Amino acid sequence: MLTRYILPLLGLIAFAFAVQQMTQAQQKTPPAVPPVEPAKSPFAKQLAGSGIIEPETENISIGTNLPGIVERVNVKVGDMVRPGVPLFRLDDRQLNAELVVRKAFLENAQATLEKLNNAPRPEELPPLRAKVAEMVANLDDQTKQLTRLQRLGAAASEDELTRREAGVAVAKAQLERAKADLALQEAGSWKFDRLVSQSAVKQAQAQVEQTGIELTRLTVKAPQLKWDATNSASDATEYKVLQVNVRPGEFVGTVQGQALIVLGYIGKLHVRVDIDENDIGRFRPNLPGFAQPRGNPHVKFPISFVRVEPYVIPKKSLTGLNTERVDTRVLQVIYRIESADLALYVGQQMEVFLNAAEGK
Amino acid sequence: MNWVALRMLTGDRAKYLGIIFGVAFAALLMGQQLSIFCGLMRNTTSQIRDIEGADIWVMDQNVQFVDDVKPMSENELLRVRGVEGVSWAVRLYKGIGRARLDDGNFQQMILIGLDDATLVGAPRPDRIVHGELGDLRQPNAVFVDEFGWRYLFGKEPFQPGKTLEMNDKRAVIVGMCKCNPTFQTFPILYCTYSQAVQFLPQERKTLTFILAKGNDDLPKEQVCKAIEDQTGLRAQTNDQFFWTTIQYYMQRTGIPINFGITVMLGFVVGCAIAGQTFYLFTLENLKQWGALKAMGVSNLRLVGMILLQAVIVALIGYGLGIGGAALFGFVFQRAMTSTPPAFYFGWQILVGTAAAVVVISLAASLLSMRRVLFLEAGVVFR
Repeated sequence: MLTRYILPLLGLIAFAFAVQQMTQAQQKTPPAVPPVEPAKSPFAKQLAGSGIIEPETENISIGTNLPGIVERVNVKVGDMVRPGVPLFRLDDRQLNAELVVRKAFLENAQATLEKLNNAPRPEELPPLRAKVAEMVANLDDQTKQLTRLQRLGAAASEDELTRREAGVAVAKAQLERAKADLALQEAGSWKFDRLVSQSAVKQAQAQVEQTGIELTRLTVKAPQLKWDATNSASDATEYKVLQVNVRPGEFVGTVQGQALIVLGYIGKLHVRVDIDENDIGRFRPNLPGFAQPRGNPHVKFPISFVRVEPYVIPKKSLTGLNTERVDTRVLQVIYRIESADLALYVGQQMEVFLNAAEGK
Repeated sequence: MNWVALRMLTGDRAKYLGIIFGVAFAALLMGQQLSIFCGLMRNTTSQIRDIEGADIWVMDQNVQFVDDVKPMSENELLRVRGVEGVSWAVRLYKGIGRARLDDGNFQQMILIGLDDATLVGAPRPDRIVHGELGDLRQPNAVFVDEFGWRYLFGKEPFQPGKTLEMNDKRAVIVGMCKCNPTFQTFPILYCTYSQAVQFLPQERKTLTFILAKGNDDLPKEQVCKAIEDQTGLRAQTNDQFFWTTIQYYMQRTGIPINFGITVMLGFVVGCAIAGQTFYLFTLENLKQWGALKAMGVSNLRLVGMILLQAVIVALIGYGLGIGGAALFGFVFQRAMTSTPPAFYFGWQILVGTAAAVVVISLAASLLSMRRVLFLEAGVVFR
């Protein structure tokens, strides 16, 4: 019984179990579908690049003319501002104080000039004139005394005569001197002194103006729009405030690359496409293509070629790390997004596909 | 006559069971060892099987197997996308990270960084035990695999919100998924690519793999070739990469030799037990064989009878042995909960073991045949 039936049956059952286990282990799950379908290209020959959305004017990073503490910020993110509108102002107390000092200097210089112009002082002349009259009288007296002595003839001593002659000469000289003193005072200030003083006034004036200009430089304004008219999609002349990185009370310096406020003219959006240096050979200007936002492969934006940045730059790695890692160089090409859909934001990353088969 | 052969076989129950035990033992040993070997080898490729959704793996030219990561420049992704026949391509980070646990201990982790936008390579919904895939987009979020959770937290039931520290950053476990058992036994963490980069010490390059999908109307191998030609990278289909990895372990580790020796041992032991018992059994029944010969039964007929006996023994023995191996695997896989089991019971194992059993029973029956064929009929009367 055992040998004839049970054992073969046991063998069969065991074998069946093995086969069942085998088929279970062998089972293959059907191919999985990605949670979000990645961006696909419909082109047979394609060129892929990663892009970043930017305004038509590119991003205008507003800097400051002078370092200092921010006193007030006039714009909010999202505001539309016209060129020339003040964006923010720095603390101006120091320059205001300096302006007062400079103005005082100017007044000083002006007063000095006035004084020179109004010389001589009228009260200074009568004593001088009196002095001249005195000297005239003195000369007359001396001359008379000499004449009297000469009339005596030989009775006059030689010594006395000589003294009298000298006295006349001294009186003459004294009169000359008194006259010269009077003439000097009457002539007023010297022409060249006045010139020096005039230029001192000008200098002080210029310094006042300089401080005035420095004061206006404390206010940062939206720059004047000035770019290629053919690129402009409309005649709108307003910027959108894309980013405000400055708040009252903060210190701002004149460091390069510090974007205190980012402005951009949003007519049509542009996408800046990075093309790997190894693929440059496959790129030609005017390739048609489209852009897709990351994570949404169902939306496609048609794009049209604008220009190529002629300088190949080191690629900025877009991994989201705050330290940029440079690993290779890329050619940057600017495409315009031919869609008025505003579901896109400046700075958004795009997957860009170009049709490499066309545009030969 | 066949009935006579069967009666002869089952006549001595002890010998009969002995032969069957010999064959069954050999089949069990070989089947079980081969299964563990295959399971171990298969475990080396668990991440290739876990990361689904794409057809093609693109990697640095010098990558030898899946854990041999040689990071590439981020731009290679765009170049692969530009290859004709590539439908899409996404980035993937796969590597080892080091996590600091709450108790201050350090633990190596297998870190898988999925493309942020698409999460290609994420576990499929039926593999997710807790949480939702969308949770991965939360800041610092990671998914851990089931074995990993037990490895890290023991018997504690899963609860989201547990944190680890990786590269001085906080990683929050938001979900748990089932993963194939790994070779390295480290817990597996799934997160987004940008997150994975932050969980690692700063490296200049982090793109370890690119997952690509070819156009449906093109053979995958052709797309791989196109990628290799245009970019100079190495592109392999899932299957190719699977075998590349297994080949690496076969060549570079002692695993195949060790298991080969055990399998050989099973084979030899099986041969010895079954062959010897069968031979002894034939010897004992020489009288009966002689009688049959004296009755004028042809040699061909005798050979047929011996073969029949061998086949019966082989079939039952094989069935019991392979069933035992399957039972071993069944129990083994359920008993092991904290560590991933290495056991793969493929059809190749059934076939391979069957072939070995055929060889064993043939060898045994050949020995017996020789005795019977050269037997003189007169032996019956001695």
